[in-house]
Parts: sequence; C-alpha cells; structure tokens
Amino acid sequence: MEMTGMQRVTKTAAVAMGLAVVTLAAACGSSGSSSGGGTSTVLNGAGSTLVAPLISQWEPDYNKSAGITITYGAVGSGGGVDAITNRTVDFGASDAPLSSDQATACKSCLQIPWALAATVVTYNVKGVSDKLKLTGPVLAAIFSGSITTWNDSQIASLNPGVNLPSTHITPIYRSDGSGDSFVFTSYLSAVSSDWKSKVGASTQPAFPTGQGAEKNSGVAAAVQATDGAIGYVAVSYIAADSLDEALLQNAAGNYPEPTTKGITAAADAVTTIQPDGSVPLVNPPASAADAYPMSTYSYAIVPQTSPKAKQLKAFLTYAIGPGQAFGPDLGFPPLPAAIVAHSKTVIATITT
Amino acid sequence: MTTTNLDPSSIPLPTRRRPRFGETGLRALTAATALLLVAIMALLVYETTRQAWPSIQEFGLGFVTSDQWNVVTGQFGALNFIIGTLLTSVVALVIAVPMAIAIGLFLSELAPRVLRTPVGMMVELLAAIPSVVLGLWGILVMGPFLAEHVEPWLSDHLGFIPLFSGYPSSQGVLPACVVLSIMVVPIVASISRELFLSVPSELKQGAMALGATRWEMVRSVMLPYVSGGLVASTMLGFGRAVGEAIAVTQVIGGANAISRSLFPPGDTMASRIAAQYAGTATSLQRSSLAYLAVLLLIISLITNVAAQLISGRLQRRLGGEA
Amino acid sequence: MSAQDERNPLTVVSPRSRRRKLQGRLMELLASVAALVAIVVLVVVIFSVAKRGLPAVNADLFTQVAAPFGVEGGGIKNAIIGTLIMTAMATAMAVPIGVLLAIFDTEFASPQVSVAIRMALNVLAGVPTIVIGIFIFGLVVVSNGQSAFAASIALAIIILPVIARATEEVLLLVPSTLREGSMALGATRARTVVSVILPSAFGGIVTATIVGVARAAGETAPILFTSSIFANAVVTDPSQPMASMPFAIFTNSESPSHHDQQVAWAAALLLMAFVLLGSITGRLLSLRTRRQIEQMR
Repeated sequence: MEMTGMQRVTKTAAVAMGLAVVTLAAACGSSGSSSGGGTSTVLNGAGSTLVAPLISQWEPDYNKSAGITITYGAVGSGGGVDAITNRTVDFGASDAPLSSDQATACKSCLQIPWALAATVVTYNVKGVSDKLKLTGPVLAAIFSGSITTWNDSQIASLNPGVNLPSTHITPIYRSDGSGDSFVFTSYLSAVSSDWKSKVGASTQPAFPTGQGAEKNSGVAAAVQATDGAIGYVAVSYIAADSLDEALLQNAAGNYPEPTTKGITAAADAVTTIQPDGSVPLVNPPASAADAYPMSTYSYAIVPQTSPKAKQLKAFLTYAIGPGQAFGPDLGFPPLPAAIVAHSKTVIATITT
Repeated sequence: MTTTNLDPSSIPLPTRRRPRFGETGLRALTAATALLLVAIMALLVYETTRQAWPSIQEFGLGFVTSDQWNVVTGQFGALNFIIGTLLTSVVALVIAVPMAIAIGLFLSELAPRVLRTPVGMMVELLAAIPSVVLGLWGILVMGPFLAEHVEPWLSDHLGFIPLFSGYPSSQGVLPACVVLSIMVVPIVASISRELFLSVPSELKQGAMALGATRWEMVRSVMLPYVSGGLVASTMLGFGRAVGEAIAVTQVIGGANAISRSLFPPGDTMASRIAAQYAGTATSLQRSSLAYLAVLLLIISLITNVAAQLISGRLQRRLGGEA
Repeated sequence: MSAQDERNPLTVVSPRSRRRKLQGRLMELLASVAALVAIVVLVVVIFSVAKRGLPAVNADLFTQVAAPFGVEGGGIKNAIIGTLIMTAMATAMAVPIGVLLAIFDTEFASPQVSVAIRMALNVLAGVPTIVIGIFIFGLVVVSNGQSAFAASIALAIIILPVIARATEEVLLLVPSTLREGSMALGATRARTVVSVILPSAFGGIVTATIVGVARAAGETAPILFTSSIFANAVVTDPSQPMASMPFAIFTNSESPSHHDQQVAWAAALLLMAFVLLGSITGRLLSLRTRRQIEQMR
C-alpha cells in the first residue's frame, strides 16, 4: 500500500513533467501559421502601418465575400519584410521596395503594388495653424538639426504673415523599420545632397537629432504631445488624428496638398516600373505641376511559391480590384490602370 | 519468560534492500530537472551568440567602441547605448540606493513595530508593479510633469552643470532614470532590511551601552557590519536597471546620438533591442542587436555572480563570527 | 557647584551631547522621510492608474476586441483571454519543473551541486527578459511562426527561478526533526519527501505558484517577439499568436487616440490589481505557512 502510494505520487510528478515536456514539444513541433495549405481559410500578414487602415477595411469585406479570414499585424514595413522572409506570415506589406540584401534573403519574393498613398509632414506648434509651407532643403535642415527654432528666418520667409513663435523644434522620426521613413528620407536625399551624403535613404536611417517613436500611431502621439514637434506620418493618420499638415514645395515650385488629386498627379507622372517591380514616386519631375512630392506605392511582398498560392492570388486580385473602393475615404487614390495591369501579371506568376 | 518468539536472526535487517521504484524514480526525475536547467541556460547562451555571430565576425571588439549605428552604411557599434545604459543605471542607483538603505533602516530600526509589516509590504508592492504600467505612467503622467515643472527648474537653477542643460523634453534620459530608480528601490530596500535585522543585538547594545546615540550606533556598528551586503544588493539593483527594456523604451525617446544632458532622448542597449529587433532592415542589423544582447548577458552575468560571491563571502564571515 | 554635583552625572546634558542627539534625530528623520517618499511614489502611481483607469472600465472593455482603424471604441476582450491562457500554460510548465528542481536541490543533491544549482537559478533570474525573448524567437518562432506557445515558454523560463527559489525556501523551513523522524522510521529519502515534507510545504508551493502567475501576467518583453502579430479577434488556439494585456497596454500607451489611452489605463488597472492582489495573497499565505511550520517544531 505504501509502495503504491509512493509510486502513485512519483507517477503524478512524472505526468506533470510529461505535460510540461509535451507542451514544449508541441510548441517546437507545431507548424505555426503556414499550415493548412490549399484548404486553409486564414491568411496572415504583417507590415506597413501606412496600408494598415486600408487592410482593416478589406478584412471584414473580404471575409464576407470570400469566407477567408485575413489577420494583419501592423508592425511596420521593416517587420513585415522580416516576417515574410522568415515565412512566419503568408504575406508581407512594405512601402519600401526590398533592398538587394533583403531580396536575396527573401528567396524569390515578389513585390506587388497594391495601394497608392503618401507620407505627410505634420507638426504641432501652439499658435500656428494648419498648412504651413516648407521646402525640401528646409525640411532637411530641420531634421539634421541646423534649424532649431520655429521662427527661423528660413521658415519665416516661406510663410509671410504667419506669426511663428520661438519654440524649439523637436523632430520626431520612426524608430522602427518604416516604409514612411524610407519615403521621407528618399525625398530628403533627392532634394538635399547634404542629407544624401550624411544620412541617406533607408527604412531605418540614423537620424542625427530628435526623438524616435514606433509606428505611425506613435509618431502621431508624440507630435500631439510635444509643443514644437515636427514629424512625418502616412496620409490616413492626418485626418484620423486631426493633425496639422505641412505643404511641401514640389519640383514645379507649387505647394500641392496631399490629397488624392496630388497623389494621382504624382502617379501619372512616373510610369516607369523598375526592374525589381517597384515604382518610386518621390520628387516627381517639374512637368507634374500638381504632384505631391512624397507620394508612394505600397507593396505586398509575397513568396513566388507558397502553399497558399490560391488564396493569395484571390486576395491580391481583390485588393487591386474591388478593394480599391475603400481607398479614397482614407486618402488613397485608386491604382492607375497600368499599375493594376502590371500587378495582375505578377500575381499570375505565384504558384504552389 | 526469558525467550519470546523473537529470534534475533529472524528480524529482517534493512541492509541491502533493492531500491524501490519510487526512490530512484523521484531522484532521477528531479535530477533531470536540474539537467534541464543547465540545458536551458547553455542553449540561451548558444542561441544568442549564434544570432550575434555575423556581427561579432564583422566588427569584433571594435563594436564596443564604435558610436555608429547606421543601416545605410552598414556600420554598427554599441558605444552610444553602452553609455546610455550606464548613464541611466548609475543615475538611477544614485537616486535609489541611499533612499533604499534609509528605508531598510527605517523598517528594521526606526519604525514603530506596528508599522513595520504594512510599510514593508508596500515597499515590496513597488516591485510588483509591471514595468509596462510604469512605462505607461511615465509616458502620459511623469514625463510631461518632468518636462513642465522639474526640468525647467533644473535648467534655470543648475543649468551650468551639463547634465541639466538643454531643452526640457517629456521623453528623455531623465524619465528613464526615474522609472529605473522606482524599480531598483524595492530590491535594495528589502535586502537592506534583512541585512540590518541580521546584525547581532550584542553589537548594537554594546554600542548603546558605551553611550552612543541610535544614529551613532547605526553609523559605527551597523553600516560597517552590513557594508558588503549593501554592495551586493546595489549590484543586484544595477543588474535590474541594466536589463530593463520595456519601461525604458517607452519613455526614453529612442535617439541615435548620446548627449551630455539628461533632458533629450537617448537610448540604452535593452531599449534599442526592444525597439528595432522586430523589424530590421538588414540581417547585419539583426545580428548587431543580438550582439547587444550578448553584451547584456555578459554584464548581467558579471554583476549577478559578483553579487552572489560577495554575499557568500559575507555569510561565511558571519558564520565564523557567530 | 554643589548644586551641580548633586545632579546625576549621567543626565547632565553637555552642549556636545545635545549636538549628537540632534544629529541623530535629524538622520532618523531623513530615513523616515525616505521611507515616506517611497510610499508616496507607490501611492501616486497606483492613484494615477486608478484615477484614469476606473472611468474607462466598462462592459465594452471585456466584451469587445480592438476597433478597426479610425473607429473609436473597442475593448481588450482578446487580450484578457490571451493573458489568461498564456499565463496558465507558462505556470503549467514552470511549476512542476520548479518544484522538482527545488526538491532535488534540498533533498537529493550534494552540497556542492546544491550551491551550483542555487547560483544557476540566481543567474537565470538576472537574465534580462528581452534577451529571453530573443532566445525563444530564434529557437521557436523562426521555424514555426509566432504562437502563444512560444510566448508561454519564454514566460515559463522567466518564472522558473521565482518558483524554484520560493519552493526551496519553504522546503528548507520544514524542521529537520520531521525529516529525521521519518528516516528513523525506515522511510527512504523519496518517501520522506513525498509523505512528510511536501504536505507541510504545500502552502508554500501554492504561494510560489501565485507569485509566479502574478509575475508571468505582467511581463511584456518576452511577448514582443513571440506573440505580437495576432488576429483582431478572440483566439484560443495556442499554436496561434494571441493578444495579451501587457502588450495591449504597451501598444495603446503609444497611441494618439484618447480612447486608446483610456483603454491602456483600464488594462493597466486590471493588470496591476491582479498582480498586486497576487503579491499580497502570496505574502500573507507565506506568513501563514511559516507560522504553521514553526508550530511543528
């Protein structure tokens, strides 16, 4: 009797240990999100916070029409590229095209333009109202720390009649891997050779001064909370959080607003598709008089071969087709027809 | 009545019993968990080093002295974050340790007995606050408060000291120091209290009998007696401060450069990992972040082992004297 | 002169002793003030969270998931469920291993091995949680994707030293007379542990579990890389990533939306209440267990 009691307890302990080990083994052995393959009804994605508002409109609508559940983690373009490279998600989303380093690591990934939007400069200065005018070189000077107060003569000369206070400027930038950072620094690199040589364009540039925040929502929050702050956010966040937006001078010398009109003008001016499938819209030529200079496409990054090829193709076709209808309310103009055609060709090459 | 049924040779002596299943079973099972512990720790070191290896190969020890962190040029170095880590942790210790020792004294000697348990519990509850909650409070309450009231005052009155120069900012090194000191105080305070309680009463009474005031007794008898333990507890507090990622990344403002002032944003090793690891632009950046993690591991190992050795030596000394 | 002689020399208060007394009183005052400051900070933090969190605690918090972009509203239903599931899994893994480890350390191991294990546990307890997050990311997430499992493993590693050390403490408290008595009656080591020591230490093990649960519920760093990309819906499958309360607080704390910040305060209040309650319960239970064991002497 004693022996069985003793053995019983030891066996209980062993079972408890076994439970622990089984849990461990199950975790290591589980095939995670890429399971199910052809019959799965779930598509997991991660990436850009710029396109996240649009995707959140697609999720319920696509579920209704196709019965597929879309899960999207808005972790930033950098995180999205990372996740799809490791194949921990089914699709990634990035506003920055893959660098050659990333393209190699991703092992034949396709980048498919599926949304058209813009990055907008926002600021929060007590006493200064909306739509302050800035030029590219002045913006570069602010973010590299040469211009430190709002009443600097370079800003004042662009905005006669605006009463600018002497508040200290706090530049706010993205501390995570961000497509908006790429667009912003690409623009600054295009208009300021000084910026290009000192910082360059990247999803995670080494900003010389200022404060970092995570995701578009973090930048919006930081700008709202700090008097004298200036930052850059995706276009949807301006209206959603009632932020002040700055007007940038484009190559033609005009100050177009980052509306669907200004973004479409930029898309119409740049029609060449680069060999890697990207279409950079930053700083369009002076012939585009009304083009907003910091427009960008957002790309879906998908592997060329995927067990969920069928679902991916259906979803992407929806995204560049009916899905575009949700765009204008969020500030996204519809994709130009040529780009839709291009995306369709790329989508067709996805196989299992 | 001399002989009973008991025949000595018939009594079974438990000399060489075969071990029953339960005995070896439990022993083996528990020994297995010890091996599991060792395996986990070895795997931890291996995996982190493996992830860091490309960066270690690329930069070697120069990583520790380089202040570059540039994805575009592919140059990464830990110097700014090492300085940030040391700055925030040391300032946090400067704020927290004297306060914590005073609390330990209060709880062991000075407080009325009825207050000791409740106050002691409240100090330990500080340790139980999740770091993300402290960070939330830091972003939305403490940071703005510092920027609006404390930093302007410091800048006006002590602005000649580089530490307090510059523009007030609600996200910066100073709020990070404050949250870290809130985390360090309970650790050092509870250990201090134990240490003070362990001072033999003969020593204390002897000093009082010689005419010392209570404070003089504390200063001349208790503090020297526990000084080794206090050093150990400070090291544990330091380890805690160095390793904190979440609350720090929420309030420190993730900047690339390091400044001499406490006001502007900065960054620490743990905070940079938390901010950038999830979405790196290049694989070299990812392994550089893992390299930061390796450095963190080394620092935490050294401070932890040193603290244990110091307190182990102290215990032996106390055991010898007792 | 004679009047002075008649006074008790021990009570003569010279200027120098007055100064020493004053100095002593001053330092004692400073020490008390320091304790007061610590309590004030604790009260301020708790009060801030309560003041901002209480108004935001409503039915929506528990019945809704996060609202889609641009829409005000939403709650943390999936985060609460996620934390419950992940904490339960972490505890299920850490408690058996931790208790068995403590038993090995106090009952079966030789003194040198015992010291080594204790040192190892202390070292593990000192590893920054963000490093453990990276560790599990590389080990589990890279090959299998994010999952609540992965997060639970990371949490289990973090609370393992907590549980093992607390259990060890309570096992050592059991008076050696009990052990010796049991051995004298002919029981084996293992039998002694199971029938004599564990039952007396049971309260302490429960305490250790409670403390471990409270700790696991509040950790954010290990979740950052193991369960941060999840569906905006209630997920109960542990092989999928889940929302969690610490992560919800983390993301909402950096949001510009006033409503999101309210949700963060409310979640912080719930989490803090849970954690503080767990800590207090743990402390009271351990005091009671100690008293019970003392009575056995």
